[in-house]
Amino acid sequence: MRRLVVFILSIFIFLWGCSPKEYKKVPVALESNKSVATRGTEKLQDFRYLYSGEVTTLNYLKTNSSNEIGIASNLVDSLVEYDKFGLIKPALAIDWEVSEDNMVWTFILRQGVNWYTVDGYAFAEVLAQDFVDSAKYILDLNNDSSTANIVYGVIKNAEKYYRGDITDFSQVGVKAIDNYKLEYTLEKPVPYFLSMITHACFLPINGEFLKEVGDKFGTDNYNFLYNGAYILDTFEPQSRRVLIANDNYWDKEHVYIKKIVGRYNKEALTLAPELFIRGEVDSAKVSSIVLDEWINNPEREKQIRPNRANYFSYFYSFNFNPNFAEKFEPDNWELAVNNLAFRKAIFHGFNRKAAVLTEEPYSPNNRLLNTITPKNFLDFEGTDYTQLGSLADISHTDSFNKELALEYKEKAIDELKGIACFPVKVLMPYNTGSVEWASRAQVIEQQLENILGIDFIDIIIDARPPTGFLSKTRRSGDYSILECNWGPDFADPETYTTPFGPDGTYNYPHLALGYEEDNGKSIYENMLNIAKREVYNMGKRYKLFAEAEAFLINQAFVIPYSVGSGGYSASRLNPFESQYSPYGISSSKFKGQKIMEKPMNTEQFNESQKQWEIERRKALKAGNR
Amino acid sequence: MNYKIEKLSIGINKELFEFAQYNANNEKLSNYLNYSYWRSTIYAFSKNKIALFFLYLVIILMIFTIIQPYLPYQKSPIQIFIDENTGMQLRNHKPNSEFYFGTNSIGQDLWARIWSGTRTSLLIGILVGLWESIIGIIVGALWGYVKGLEKLVTGIYNILDNIPSTIILVLLTYIMEPSISTLIFAMCITGWLPMARFVRNQIVIIRDREYNLASRTLGTPTQRIITRNLLPYLVSVIMLRLALAIPGAIGSEVFLTYIGLGLPINIPSLGNLINEGRIVMMVESLRYQLIFPAIILSLITISFYVVGNAFADAADPRNHV
Amino acid sequence: MIRYIIKRLLQSIITLFIVLTIVFFLMRLMPEEGYFGENYEKLDEVQRETILTNMGLRNPIHIQLIDFYKGLFQGDLGKSIIYRPGVEIVGILKSKIPYSLKSGLAALMISLIAGIPLGISMALNKDKMWDSIGTGYIVFISAFPSAVYYLFLQLYISDIFKLPVLFNVDDMRSWILPIVSMSLGGIASYAMWMRRYIIDELNKDYVKLARAKGLNKKSIMVHHVLRNAFVPMVQYLPSTILFTISGSIYIESLYSIPGMGGLLVDVIQRQDNTLVQAIVLIYSSIGIFGLFTGDILMVLLDPRIKIQRGGSR
Repeated sequence: MRRLVVFILSIFIFLWGCSPKEYKKVPVALESNKSVATRGTEKLQDFRYLYSGEVTTLNYLKTNSSNEIGIASNLVDSLVEYDKFGLIKPALAIDWEVSEDNMVWTFILRQGVNWYTVDGYAFAEVLAQDFVDSAKYILDLNNDSSTANIVYGVIKNAEKYYRGDITDFSQVGVKAIDNYKLEYTLEKPVPYFLSMITHACFLPINGEFLKEVGDKFGTDNYNFLYNGAYILDTFEPQSRRVLIANDNYWDKEHVYIKKIVGRYNKEALTLAPELFIRGEVDSAKVSSIVLDEWINNPEREKQIRPNRANYFSYFYSFNFNPNFAEKFEPDNWELAVNNLAFRKAIFHGFNRKAAVLTEEPYSPNNRLLNTITPKNFLDFEGTDYTQLGSLADISHTDSFNKELALEYKEKAIDELKGIACFPVKVLMPYNTGSVEWASRAQVIEQQLENILGIDFIDIIIDARPPTGFLSKTRRSGDYSILECNWGPDFADPETYTTPFGPDGTYNYPHLALGYEEDNGKSIYENMLNIAKREVYNMGKRYKLFAEAEAFLINQAFVIPYSVGSGGYSASRLNPFESQYSPYGISSSKFKGQKIMEKPMNTEQFNESQKQWEIERRKALKAGNR
Repeated sequence: MNYKIEKLSIGINKELFEFAQYNANNEKLSNYLNYSYWRSTIYAFSKNKIALFFLYLVIILMIFTIIQPYLPYQKSPIQIFIDENTGMQLRNHKPNSEFYFGTNSIGQDLWARIWSGTRTSLLIGILVGLWESIIGIIVGALWGYVKGLEKLVTGIYNILDNIPSTIILVLLTYIMEPSISTLIFAMCITGWLPMARFVRNQIVIIRDREYNLASRTLGTPTQRIITRNLLPYLVSVIMLRLALAIPGAIGSEVFLTYIGLGLPINIPSLGNLINEGRIVMMVESLRYQLIFPAIILSLITISFYVVGNAFADAADPRNHV
Repeated sequence: MIRYIIKRLLQSIITLFIVLTIVFFLMRLMPEEGYFGENYEKLDEVQRETILTNMGLRNPIHIQLIDFYKGLFQGDLGKSIIYRPGVEIVGILKSKIPYSLKSGLAALMISLIAGIPLGISMALNKDKMWDSIGTGYIVFISAFPSAVYYLFLQLYISDIFKLPVLFNVDDMRSWILPIVSMSLGGIASYAMWMRRYIIDELNKDYVKLARAKGLNKKSIMVHHVLRNAFVPMVQYLPSTILFTISGSIYIESLYSIPGMGGLLVDVIQRQDNTLVQAIVLIYSSIGIFGLFTGDILMVLLDPRIKIQRGGSR
């Protein structure tokens, strides 16, 4: 007995003594308990924040998660980057040109940029071969790259190499002409190629280092090479990450924040606002739940401002491929959904503002989106894409219109009399992983049933687990109406059409009855194909896409709903200083941002936004010339 | 007596012994005549005024949750109320005479939601708690007492106890969709294990005491030894455990909601009400959304705890004489 | 005894295999979409197939199982596939376990040191003031949802005593709140059970006999009552000590302690099969070993208990 106790005690002591060594490195203390919200000027070089989404890997050639790419974007530079108005400017490439046929892009690289290890030792120079090596890595099946499809979607012979149809990599359209000259050959003319190379999959990697570390590349901050604005000094998953400005960075005069300390907390949403008040973090999202308290408290109200919207587009899809349980009457739904008046009744009866209030109680209108493509995404000669052709009308009208809804309801009842049974059962699943979605589903159910009457529709909201949600629900067509979203991949309106093409797995609009044209394809599909083929005249291309999008909305295949993100933040960052781009890695860069002494308030935000829009228009005009 | 005993075993052989037959009449002789176990227990229990109070409280709570929807002026727990001035949801409305407990972030009546949630959670708690106790006690008693089963049950216990219940829950919600019955089913699958182990340990401790040995030698059937010799001895600890099983089941529902495997919020339960409330804890004006469900949950737990403890005291036969 | 121990150990190993095999198959029942997380949408069919193939999920299931055991026998837990792809599982666990172990053991010590004396003194002062105060504490702790009072402690107590809100390896003060929060429940439950067992014990005849014999109260308590009251608790002690390595989900996520708490739940939901299997292996070994050592401790403490014989046939 006594021996046992001694044994147990010695295990205690042994285990207490051993703790992983790397965690003792570089003490980074969070200052605690500063009650005043302003910080001394000497501290304005540190930025501290709380995050709840942990990165699983730093391997930017493998991952496609915005979170992980966001970290990598601060560590490794791309060929080009964006300025704060969204204009492309040189980064690792100082110059570039494109051949007459839009097929061959040549980049001249900046000289004297080096790769550094985490300890700050120069490893090698960044050369054209590094871009070739990165493409080679991504196109290797064994490396599991999640972004390979972006590369082989444009680069010549890349898909063939990926699938193993050719084995000679020199046939793939990436070539190092010399140390500082890089050439990409494309599969087909891609007018937006420049916007694509800001994706993580076009970042360089030193092939020799890759060979050295092998599988371990990107698993921690040591098995990684840096050529960007920051070096990841500490990487302790589920605890903290510390980025320190790279002293040898080629553009270091534009790196104002010298140190970035991220602390992990699973409950960041609840905790961060509280820590912001205590002066322990410099930025916190103020969720809609606690927003009331902040807005009504004059002291706190001064410290928050709206967030900039991102470019995720949320919309409600009508399903043309119903495939759900008999008890929800899929056949009846199929009859109903193929009736334009029925769809339009719901389209106009859906009070999107009521739904958006669940996440944006104070400024719902900032979130509402009348089109699929968000505003400020693209621009042709000073005109926003959403203002082109028929889209202009749509983007100015709120789809919610009670009179129209009731009119269409009568019409639908008339047209479907004796064909479909009323009330039509509408299966509307939601993902229980999102509390706001659950609230929204309840709001929408009640609102639509109130306005259209339970004699017309019977909305059934259905809670589904997050596990396998998309496969079980959207991809298999197990819904009538579903909230869906899509984010852009490159700077072209085509990127927002992916969900609705015949290969899409959203709501299968090509299966809708009554839209078939002589070539056997649907009207919408044909409109898309014509637009896609127009690669030289950008004005025409954009207009064609705008018309297709307008058609999709006018025929009520989808109900545009909102942009992603939004809400309020208390933050010492000026959101209008960051690099501006709806896709790629630029927007997550800390480079160019400064820490303000006092957080921006709503008034300042609105003013800055106005100012930014005016300046942007000017810059775009100058840039386009 | 004029011969020496050479060896004690010499004269002993099987013929000298016979198997004792269990005789119900003989047993009666050794019992008190006028003693009824349960009557004495109830009598001892009723002496404890505090416990009685909480017992009534639990009963009233249960009755109220059942009849609440049928009372006049009750609102639906899932209806979203609209502010007449703005035409939008009546969000975070403070408690007043119209909404006794206020409204939540999308304008649903918290009063109705809390009672509906209590109903759901009590249903889950009672079903799971009962199941846990019944299966737990039966398996635990057999496991602890019947030698032939020990190996088998230890094996089964080790297997079931070590398969993470999260895997089972995730798979079940994936296969069966999130609902009350899925949750109950999932909690029942492995919920009885701790109870079984607890009862088994208790029985192992006392099974070889002399009086049991004596009983066994007298040929008392296993079933009777378990029900008459062992379980009454354990009734007090088992009662306490049982009383905690119901709040325990409610507690694990709260936990499951926390890790995202609980009920969807359109089925109100104390678990998701508290989880919603937890987020607004730091917001003074909204704290009522946490306090009301927390109070109800605490009342239920405290009641069961106090009643269970008092009953455990009362159920101990040594306290009867 | 030795024979019994060997027999139980062999049984344990068989049980362990069964558990691992069941978990292995259960994880294979999870939907394939789950392996991709948020990336799923942006991948095409070829990529999905490639990734699943590289994870080994396209091999026939028996081959996967054999591969898994092959690795296991070579002492190789493999690499994580999703939680931190490509990182050795041993490395992940090595960095996490010490945090949970330290805080868990500290909390357990406090629970035992405070909870047992509290329970004893409550039992000795049954129905008096001290008993009521203790009961009040126990009732409150077990009644109030822990998710709520943990958060309360974190946000308010830290403000009052100027303690760090978040855990920080280099700051000893940041250990205080999490450990205290963790031990509150333990103190309550040890006190509650100790009180119960002692009251049961004090009612027994041998205590009355000892009193009649003229033994003093203290000696009865120390030599007889306490020893007997500890027996039912001791069975759980090994598992409780060993399971401190699993950490506390609530506490660790509230204070951002990078320990084991919630890791299993997290990797199950994210379907990191190899990591799930490794953790299940560790936890099951602990669970089985804990039950077993608990049995042996019980026998050591109370010689009347016979674990290997006894009971009816």
